[in-house]
Amino acid sequence: MNSRRHLGMVAGGATILASAPISQIFAGWSWLFEGGLMVAMVTGAALGARSLRGRLWAQLLAMLAALLIGLTWLFGGDTALLGLIPTPDTFAQFGSLFALAGEEVQKSYVPVPDLEGLLFVSALGMGAVAIIVDVCAVGLRRPALAGLPMLAVYSVPVAVYIDSVSPIPFVVAAIGFLWLLVSDNVDRVRRFGRRFTGEGRGVDVWEPSPLASAGRRLAVVGVLVAVALPLAVPAMSAGFLGEFGSGDGLGQAGKGPRGSGRVDLFAELSGRLKQAGVQDMVKVTTNDPDPFYMRFGVADQISGGGFASHQPAGQPVSDNLPDPAGLDLSAVRTQAATARVEITENFAMPLLPVYSAPTSVRGLDAAWSYDPSLQIVYSQRSNSAELSYEFDYVRAEFTPDQLRTAPTMAASDANQRDYSRVPEVPEVRTLVNKLVEGKTNNYDRVRALYDYFSAKNDFKYDVAAPAGTSGAAIVDFLNNKRGFCEQYAAALAWMVRTADIPARVAFGFTLGGSADNGVRTLTNRNLHAWTEVYFSGFGWVPFDATPSTYVVGSAPTAWAPDVDAPEEVPGAPRPSLSPGATDGSAGPGGPTRDPIDPDGGVAGPINIETELPTWVWVASAGVLVLLVLLVTPALRRLTLRRRRSVRAAVASAGDGFATVGAAPAELTMTVVGDTDAARRQAHAAWDELIDTMVDHRLVVDPAETPRATVERLISTALPASAAVEQARLLGLAEERARYAPVPLSAERLAPAVREVRRAIADEADRGVRLTALLMPPSVLLRWRNGAYAGLTALSARTARLSEVVMRVLRPLRPRRLLR
Amino acid sequence: MTTQRSGGELTDPMTVDEFRATTNAIVANIEQVIEGKTATVRLALAVLLAEGHLLIEDVPGVGKTKLAKALARSIDCSVRRIQFTPDLLPSDVTGVSVYNQETRDFEFKPGAVFANLVVGDEINRASPKTQSALLECMEEHQVTVDGVTYAMEIPFMVVATQNPIEMEGTYPLPEAQRDRFTARIAMGYPDAAAEYAMLDGYHSHDPLEDLTAVVDGGTVRRLIATVRSVHVAEAVKRYAVELVTATREAPELRLGASPRSTLQLLRTAKAVAALDGRDYVVPDDLQTLAVPVLAHRVIPTADAQLARRTTDAILSELVHRLPVPHDRGRSPYDTRPATPPNSFYDRRG
Repeated sequence: MNSRRHLGMVAGGATILASAPISQIFAGWSWLFEGGLMVAMVTGAALGARSLRGRLWAQLLAMLAALLIGLTWLFGGDTALLGLIPTPDTFAQFGSLFALAGEEVQKSYVPVPDLEGLLFVSALGMGAVAIIVDVCAVGLRRPALAGLPMLAVYSVPVAVYIDSVSPIPFVVAAIGFLWLLVSDNVDRVRRFGRRFTGEGRGVDVWEPSPLASAGRRLAVVGVLVAVALPLAVPAMSAGFLGEFGSGDGLGQAGKGPRGSGRVDLFAELSGRLKQAGVQDMVKVTTNDPDPFYMRFGVADQISGGGFASHQPAGQPVSDNLPDPAGLDLSAVRTQAATARVEITENFAMPLLPVYSAPTSVRGLDAAWSYDPSLQIVYSQRSNSAELSYEFDYVRAEFTPDQLRTAPTMAASDANQRDYSRVPEVPEVRTLVNKLVEGKTNNYDRVRALYDYFSAKNDFKYDVAAPAGTSGAAIVDFLNNKRGFCEQYAAALAWMVRTADIPARVAFGFTLGGSADNGVRTLTNRNLHAWTEVYFSGFGWVPFDATPSTYVVGSAPTAWAPDVDAPEEVPGAPRPSLSPGATDGSAGPGGPTRDPIDPDGGVAGPINIETELPTWVWVASAGVLVLLVLLVTPALRRLTLRRRRSVRAAVASAGDGFATVGAAPAELTMTVVGDTDAARRQAHAAWDELIDTMVDHRLVVDPAETPRATVERLISTALPASAAVEQARLLGLAEERARYAPVPLSAERLAPAVREVRRAIADEADRGVRLTALLMPPSVLLRWRNGAYAGLTALSARTARLSEVVMRVLRPLRPRRLLR
Repeated sequence: MTTQRSGGELTDPMTVDEFRATTNAIVANIEQVIEGKTATVRLALAVLLAEGHLLIEDVPGVGKTKLAKALARSIDCSVRRIQFTPDLLPSDVTGVSVYNQETRDFEFKPGAVFANLVVGDEINRASPKTQSALLECMEEHQVTVDGVTYAMEIPFMVVATQNPIEMEGTYPLPEAQRDRFTARIAMGYPDAAAEYAMLDGYHSHDPLEDLTAVVDGGTVRRLIATVRSVHVAEAVKRYAVELVTATREAPELRLGASPRSTLQLLRTAKAVAALDGRDYVVPDDLQTLAVPVLAHRVIPTADAQLARRTTDAILSELVHRLPVPHDRGRSPYDTRPATPPNSFYDRRG
């Protein structure tokens, strides 16, 4: 018992060590406190159940109960009885925490602050891993299996970080796993008896043995190889040793000041997005509770079949910037706000990111100008690196109903003329016409095109899709349906223009991770592109067609909701837009959206499920193969049984019987007809009985006669069972089939086998019965013995062959030739 | 010169039911005297029906002689008793030619062995010289005196009793003599209930006096004929050979069992099978007979003797190691090497 207690504690400790990778996800350390508490409670429950001599299922139940109580204590809030005992409300609370976690996963960016939902999920996960590790290592004594859940923990940061994860948590987790293995093996060795040194001195205290140190050295080498090997393999070196400045087409996007405002924004974007490593670019603070994307560039010119930016034109920045073009501020609700921006050295562009639409800018010199039509701040001479500035802006909040009222502009309108020019691509035209058919206003037309880019239509996010916005590429993209923001933004703009509505592509940053003390840090991973559509009277309205699941910090809007989310009531204002809902939760560090809002919140996790990434298919295929492999022995056993019973049934037809009065009266039917067939049936029935015994872990001894085997079976496995006579009948049949001149009639053997099998199964434990059904030891043993015999025969044959070869070659040995 | 074998031929085997009834009657008869020793009694009967000889070895006072006499009395045939003493001569056993004054010729006076059942009491108290007088008659069912060979009647059975050789005043039986006994059985102490019942039974008189024969010689011959007709499968024959071979290869045995023992093992097994109501031999018969039939013939090595290993224990282990025969190839669960591990290396020589 003592050793198991020790092993149980080691399992708990190893679980905590194995959870080290989670530190990569959280900015703080509360997860460790809460998860560690869960692990401690689970371990304690397992120890308690074991000291009460509970069986494995009792231990499992105790651990599950401990986990539940622990979660209730930490996360149950007021719903629990006495703070510890879960009520139905508690489970509802857990459900909403799950939903919240799903939303947080979507909204947050690593490292995340201590968000309630994520903390709940991580505590639950650590507790579950602790349970599995305990069951594997202590209950089943298979500590190697415990490595799998530990690996699952490690896979979490690997999945979250696109490029690389620090190897240190892996090393820590590996140490935990090795600790568990070592403890288990020390315990196993101890069971042999006392340890002695070479001189015969007893070893009472821990003392290193040469073998053990060799094992430890091997373990260290193994961990080192696991860490170092990826560095040596080129294909995997995109990890933490990958070149930092890479990315195709990014060569010219250096830090030097750019002479003109014309930047290949598309090339810049794709290069930065694919770049290994994460670089902070912009730190922004705003008092706007619900900001939209920051933008710094616009591509509005169709040139060479694709979108490109044009030379901006405007006045030097001042306190008083002109109103954004085309927007009647009195017609929509607006939110006035102020933002302060600090740009790091990593963002070096002749453009400055601002929220739309800026009204005044402070802290910039005269090198910077503002283009009111593009709504961008640009410079001909200066560079944005390490600038900091402040600006006021108004954020317009459109509603679909308002936008529906926007009239179609006259063809002579400048915006209509300049921004709806598009090369004619017949495929695109056909698609657009099909989509906008029957729509009566521009907004509905744009929405129809926007909604087309959904998971329902098989659109997926893929940063590896070929970049480029040429005319042919749009057809490719619409066929492949794989791409990232650049393709989505350009394609939507192209299609909107094809529908004769002005559109352009905007560049900027998403919301990024959640705000830390009000400061949002935007990195190269938050670079983004989206579409802006011009509505008369409303100006440029943003539509982000990229699947939001894969865009960290994406912000669906009331007029362009997430297409993959469940259907919302069209036109209903988002809960977060109502002033009252946002006030409470917009505190420092808090999520920007109401966390437990049942309507808005549920959308998050469902979102994730609607788009199944490829690995899910690969994993399910793997699981399927595994299942097939697992089921094979059971199937083999079934076919074997079927074949035997069929053999019995076929052969028993048309035999003549005669009674011989030798044996006990009811067992005396002997065959007069086909004795060989009767023998075969008896053998089949006997084989089935022996296999059944092996399946139910009853000893089978080849040195035992059928009679003795049956008597032993009766005394050990069938006490006071109705099947005793049937078992004796089987034994007698096999005995007669083997040794008597006339075998027994096989007529009653098949039902006898069935009955005996049922009786044996009834006497067996549930575990044994389950093993016999799912993983029959008889089949496994046959396979193993078969493989063993085959190998032995092979090695004997090889030895014989080499002997022959040696005999042939003996005269040719050089020494003999020289003599 | 050989006299004709007397005592009738082995014909007219019985049916299974008849056989069972007859043998049960014999066993029940003997059990009037020997309480609670059914297995021993049946084994003794089996040896008779297998045309073998029985050696009963045990400490004094457990009923060895009683069993021998009860068996003899249950069968209505000629019974002779030889009390083996240290001064017994071979001619006392086999008989002697004496000069007949009237016929002026040598006349053969048959010795004690000329009977259907010969009870040799305390056989190991006679000298080996006297004991060897039994060798010919036991194996060949004939006695040669003065160049004339006399055949024995059927059935012919020697039932000998002896004390273990550790007892005082005994000679060890020669190996050749031991090998002629089909089976050696030990009586063993009766259990408490049987011993208590025995006190009542022997209260007034010896129940042996009341014992009457239940079968005659002709019936015994029919019984023997029945036993001879019992079927032995090829697998069982092979098993018998394997079993005996195993005693010769066992590292703990200096001397293994003889081919004669193989023959006697199988014969006794047939008798046991018939007594069990079967017309075929099963390996179980051989397994139960391995110790009584083989144990007294083999000689353990000095190491095994030092380790206080009895031949009974060694043989029981052999039986438990040897796979049971059948004609269907190896058991899929038999993990023993298919061929003896030595064979390959032996060929390298």
